[in-house]
Amino acid sequence: MAMEITAVAQKLLLQLVSSAFQRCRLSEDLCRLSVLLDQSTATDPPITSISIADTGIGCILEQFQDLRCPRDFNGAKIWDGLLSVKTTCFTDDEVYFYHINLDEYISNKRLKRQPSQSKNGVKFSGTEVSLSVFGSMDVLVAPILGFFQKILVLHIPNVTMDLMVKQGASPGTQTQYFFAVNAEKTPCFTASNLERLKFGLEDYVLRHENCLATMCDHCFSEREHLKVGNGTICHEDKHKRVGGTVEVVIVISDLLETTQHCSRSCDGKTKVLYFDNFSPSPVPHFVLSALKKMDWKSYGLILANVNDQDGHVFLEWENFPSFVQIEIALHWYHNQHATRQKNGPGINLVKKGIKNALDDLKAKHEGFLLSSHARKICSYVPDLARSIAGLIFSSTDLDFQGDCLSVLGFQPQEVEREAVEDCIQRKIVTVIGMNERKPQKDQEAAPFLFFDGNSETSYFEEEEVEGEYYSTSLE
Amino acid sequence: MEGKISSSEDTNLLQRIKEFTRSVVEDLAEGRSPKISINRFRNYCMNPESDCFCSSDKPKGQDILTLKREPQTYRIDMLLRVMLIFQQLLQENRHASKRDIYYMHPSAFKAQSVVDRAIGDICILFQCSRYNLNVVSVGNGLVMGWLKFREAGRKFDCLNSLNTAFPVPVLVEEVEDIVSLAEYILVVEKETVFQRLANDMFCKMNRCIVITVSTAVDLFFLISVLTSFAFLSSNFFGKGMIVFWQGRGYPDVSTRRFLRLLIEKLQLPVHCLVDCDPYGFEILATYRFGSMQMAYDIESLRAPDMKWLGAFPSDSEIYNVPKQCLLPLTEEDKKRTEALLLRCYLKRELPQWRLELETMLERGVKFEIEALSVHSLSFLSEVYIPSKIRRDLNSP
Repeated sequence: MAMEITAVAQKLLLQLVSSAFQRCRLSEDLCRLSVLLDQSTATDPPITSISIADTGIGCILEQFQDLRCPRDFNGAKIWDGLLSVKTTCFTDDEVYFYHINLDEYISNKRLKRQPSQSKNGVKFSGTEVSLSVFGSMDVLVAPILGFFQKILVLHIPNVTMDLMVKQGASPGTQTQYFFAVNAEKTPCFTASNLERLKFGLEDYVLRHENCLATMCDHCFSEREHLKVGNGTICHEDKHKRVGGTVEVVIVISDLLETTQHCSRSCDGKTKVLYFDNFSPSPVPHFVLSALKKMDWKSYGLILANVNDQDGHVFLEWENFPSFVQIEIALHWYHNQHATRQKNGPGINLVKKGIKNALDDLKAKHEGFLLSSHARKICSYVPDLARSIAGLIFSSTDLDFQGDCLSVLGFQPQEVEREAVEDCIQRKIVTVIGMNERKPQKDQEAAPFLFFDGNSETSYFEEEEVEGEYYSTSLE
Repeated sequence: MEGKISSSEDTNLLQRIKEFTRSVVEDLAEGRSPKISINRFRNYCMNPESDCFCSSDKPKGQDILTLKREPQTYRIDMLLRVMLIFQQLLQENRHASKRDIYYMHPSAFKAQSVVDRAIGDICILFQCSRYNLNVVSVGNGLVMGWLKFREAGRKFDCLNSLNTAFPVPVLVEEVEDIVSLAEYILVVEKETVFQRLANDMFCKMNRCIVITVSTAVDLFFLISVLTSFAFLSSNFFGKGMIVFWQGRGYPDVSTRRFLRLLIEKLQLPVHCLVDCDPYGFEILATYRFGSMQMAYDIESLRAPDMKWLGAFPSDSEIYNVPKQCLLPLTEEDKKRTEALLLRCYLKRELPQWRLELETMLERGVKFEIEALSVHSLSFLSEVYIPSKIRRDLNSP
């Protein structure tokens, strides 16, 4: 019972925090989002006061129309149903104060205006939402932290978030968590959404889901060693004239061997994060379907299982190499400011987005994510390279040698055979990877105009050979 | 014999190898997949419609090898390996047999047929013959009769000792100064028959050239290498430890080239004497129509007007072959015969050969040439062959 109560309270809380975040995001200034959880120890069951304050654009009261949260649940009281909202827009002269009764279905009775406060000419905007719930705040901390950790993946640079957890008045019982985008290394202010998603997911991975302040040394060596692919695909819905974009980022990390000592390392499972219009969201069904229907095989991956636990999705692979980890983030958003659109991107769009990201990975890294077919072909690469290098180096025609070497980008004087062989190997692998990506249409053989009769190989074909086989010994 | 390129154009082939290498390197450097296009040749098909064009020497299609498919990549891999060997051979002016080449990297090649295929591919690619790449065919042909020639300066005077077997030269391209007073050429499947004719002084009585392929194998070699063959004929001839291998008369490349050379230079009719069984017929077909494996080089390897002297299935009655010599066709024999009958060249060119083959199948029996000698040892030399040849000369 207690879990069910908390689930309801969590949901409401996350909705409020998410709205606050959106208000900050839409503001073009640097904003702060602060969440305060204050549990009073005096009462039993304890009451937790929650306050969500942001300095974003002022809120629109329609946002609260859709909020629903029952006051009680199966007889147990959750809260008193009252939201206290203070909000002001930049151009407003006053800070408006409202009590919103979420229990009330009659709309004009929901909202009760309270006396406003004058801003005395100071220009600012922001919102503060307060409520109290019955119950311990312990169960509320984790979802909020989770929300902040995930929202950092979007790498929105102008929002700083913090969570303050208090239990009573003394400072000893206070904990504060800060979340901000590290804008030093990454050019996020001018970056596109996709670039931000990329940086954000990289950080998320390196810091173990943003639980750590910096990159985990046990697991990762350098940010640059991550293999990242991104794909984006737009959707134009002609009927509703609302377009949307799906962005996908895939990060593949090669873990260090010391990852075994790290308590947070995953076990080869791939976490899938989904964002719906700049807010973390449980992975919807159509995305699950898209993940299941993706042609992973042509990238050398075999999907064993898709685990869906309350919207948290993990992909499990067959024969997955150890010390490798894959994380996927998907973001779907509308192109225009459409707040109430319910239409999603659809399975095909999501699949295309994932495919674009995988292709991007393949293109950036030769010989990576090759299908098993291509890997079989790659097994010939060392031999092929050796023969080609042999043909170059064993030729007595030095001009020819020099010519070939310069075509490969080497200076004839300072050249080592091994280096040339390596170079040729890499080029062949690139070609094999490229062959995989090219569309199939130019590979179809022309249909036979004449019947191409089966030529049965005579069993004598061997005889010719064996005739010589014996004779060689006579020489 | 010209082949397609004269042997003085070694440098030309080296040039071609370099050009090929250069183009592959360029393709790779520019991120393109190399494409190697190899013509497909065949000398027959099994198409029942008989509207094929197998009789033409032109290529029948092309294989385009790329790195997109595994079998093609493998073929390219082997081709490059062998090409590297050829470059070295040509540069150092050394020669090697196909077997030698196999033994250079046996674990990579895994089978002789792989090497042969690679050599064939390179020959087709460069439109040359094997000897242009310094591949020597190890030959085991034998010749005797009214013939004189030179090979690389050495004199072969078969005329001087008419019933002595001379080896067919391996470097057939170096054969010159061919002189002959023969009226025809006789090709026999087996060395045992060849020896029979030699013993019977056949060439003294008949002005001809006799060719065969040696079926002698060194016993020590045999024992040291192989264990799994079923037929072992025990015809010890007292020439040291030599065993005659029953039924191994398949013509090697040198012998076929030599025969072709003689035909071109001497313009003589050619007769072929094989056992009356599917194996013998296949040998006959190989002499006449060439082999599929060497289909790309067919012009220099076949004897286009070769006649089938015998033994025919009908001969068993005409010449009273005793019943115990008529062996039943095995299932394998029957399948082979049926497959042979499907070959387009039999329908197109030689209906009478087809007829005999069908008769063989109908009767379900086979016999060896030696069976004709049951009544008299020299029956073959004195009666069978001369009368057949006379009949042939007299027929229109």
